[in-house]
Amino acid sequence: MYHLDGTDVLDERYYQKTRSVCPECLKVIDAEILEEDDQIWMKKNCKEHGDFKDKISSNAKYYKWTHYGTDEWNFLKNGEVNPPDCESTDPRGCPYNCGLCDQHLSSCSLALIDLTNRCNFNCNFCYANVQKAGYWIEPSLEELDRIMNHFRSKPMPPPSIMFTGGEPTVRADFPEICAMAKKHGFQEVIVATNGYGFQKKNGGLEWTKKVLESGVDTLYFQFDGINNITYEKTRGIKNLMNYKMRVIENCRKAGLSSIVLVATIAKGITDIEIGNIIQFAIDNIDVVRGITFQPVSLCGRISHEDLTGLRITNADVIQEIDNQTGGKIGIENAWYPLSTVVEMGRIISYLADVEPVEFTCHPDCGFATYMVLDPDTNEMVPLMEYFDPLKIVDFSNRFWEKIKKKEKQPIKFFENILGEFGQTLDKGLNWLNKQQLKARFLMGMLQYTKKPGKLMELFTRVLLNGNWESISSFTHGTLLISSMHFQDAYNFNVERAKRCIVHFGIAMPDGSVKECSFCTMNTFHRPHIEKAIAKKLTEKVKNEFDTTVGLLTEEVKQEVARNGGQEKGE
Amino acid sequence: MSQKEYIDPETRMKIRKLTDLKPTAAKEYQDAMLGRVEYFANKGDSNFNNTIENIIVKGLSSLLGLKVKIDEMLGDDRKEKVHDAIAKLALFGL
Repeated sequence: MYHLDGTDVLDERYYQKTRSVCPECLKVIDAEILEEDDQIWMKKNCKEHGDFKDKISSNAKYYKWTHYGTDEWNFLKNGEVNPPDCESTDPRGCPYNCGLCDQHLSSCSLALIDLTNRCNFNCNFCYANVQKAGYWIEPSLEELDRIMNHFRSKPMPPPSIMFTGGEPTVRADFPEICAMAKKHGFQEVIVATNGYGFQKKNGGLEWTKKVLESGVDTLYFQFDGINNITYEKTRGIKNLMNYKMRVIENCRKAGLSSIVLVATIAKGITDIEIGNIIQFAIDNIDVVRGITFQPVSLCGRISHEDLTGLRITNADVIQEIDNQTGGKIGIENAWYPLSTVVEMGRIISYLADVEPVEFTCHPDCGFATYMVLDPDTNEMVPLMEYFDPLKIVDFSNRFWEKIKKKEKQPIKFFENILGEFGQTLDKGLNWLNKQQLKARFLMGMLQYTKKPGKLMELFTRVLLNGNWESISSFTHGTLLISSMHFQDAYNFNVERAKRCIVHFGIAMPDGSVKECSFCTMNTFHRPHIEKAIAKKLTEKVKNEFDTTVGLLTEEVKQEVARNGGQEKGE
Repeated sequence: MSQKEYIDPETRMKIRKLTDLKPTAAKEYQDAMLGRVEYFANKGDSNFNNTIENIIVKGLSSLLGLKVKIDEMLGDDRKEKVHDAIAKLALFGL
């Protein structure tokens, strides 16, 4: 608990005011976040619909650690923002002006585009499906080009793009779309997939090779567990593990070595698979780069008892990881909010002259840890055993505090005296200055390393040049485990929405592009945006896949659980 | 493998109770990391082919090995004091 050591903060009861929405009418209302029984709750009252209470974190101690700041330590950070795309004309403010407005406090790190709402599955908790929606969403290549251009032309463009759906790989032009993303300068092209294109018995391997050549870097791969019975419950399909294994094998054969397993965590259904998924990732470490656990978001009208029963928070997930790994990945020492590395990223970006990436999302959005192989014991251990993370972060924070003015004010010593020639001399001075700063930064950072070796050589390269190949090679020596909790109307916190770093891009009929933060899009704006851009559903598209099997799941009452938080029946 | 695998009679699920996190594929793990380096190096215009950077990285790696041994000799209290002094030096004059 580093920055809180020696303080009595952990003994104080947590309390904060914020703004949220009424889950019934979605009006913006006041809310309180407070501590009760060692847990953190959100309480709010709508004059029309009454009181609401929802759990934000099941571990008050951990929550307080990530929410109390000091001058040098703070996980709640405002980012460098891009100019707003729209004016704040709606008096209700955030989230109703989203598009993006001037209230947003972070720039986009990951651009999202829904490529289609066609899907070969029909999971009972998913909204993105032509048959349920009754309309067809599928942007054209020209519209996709426009969206990508919108993101990449920002002063602070996102380095990564993720194609979502529906199932993006049902599109015949998917390889062309990936190539387009690379052409636009996205360094990391990710596809959120159930594995459809990759798993085909006839031609799946060739297709995998083709999309790898076209530009796909990473599969964000739907993976609920290692048991067929789990998929029967979550997807309504039998024997799905064979399908999942074909994806892994084809990626392995094709040389596509970056798969992130994505598990939606629902109580009593997939939470018991957490340890299995971690072990599966370690067993397939040659192609699996990470795991993302996503606690389900909730929607529809639910009683307080049902809400409490279904709600699973990030803290629950990382506690379960602690339990199911025998304490090897401990809640108290292995996990950090994504915003922890903001200053380190800014320093590397400034010193190495690379595009900055700002993980200035809210501390409640997600937690992460890296697992690495300890060469001494041949065991996977949290990266924290390689170096002292708190000391490294502390040093980065202090270093950035000292040099951040230099980034804004480069040396202009000779320019005023010698004109253009002076500018050249000043460039040289600035270069020399950065080299001495790099040396100081490396000295400060590397002293906290506990184990030398190949991995640390790659970490040194990340610190030295911050370029994509260094970062990508480093991540190939690690297993990233994260827990990301998307918001719904019950736990919606306007302060979180303002800091969102994952933004949808939508090509609107008037030729503009709307940029909408993730939870805001899924909780508020998706229905009317989709109605505006929907195409007429043809019989051919409607009957393309036999997805009726996905509707047969009776035992799982997960109709209120989904990844975004849409009104049921919309 | 130090893991216990069993079928839960109630849920019929395969459960792996992890007792440690030893991978079955330690070599594959190393190969994945080094394979990625090779992938970029083969592209030609790569920092992995930059002689100066390679010398710096190797030099720092050797220094790190030495540092870890010195840290062990110093003991926790003295190590912390040395680290604080180095941090102050790195921040001095900024």
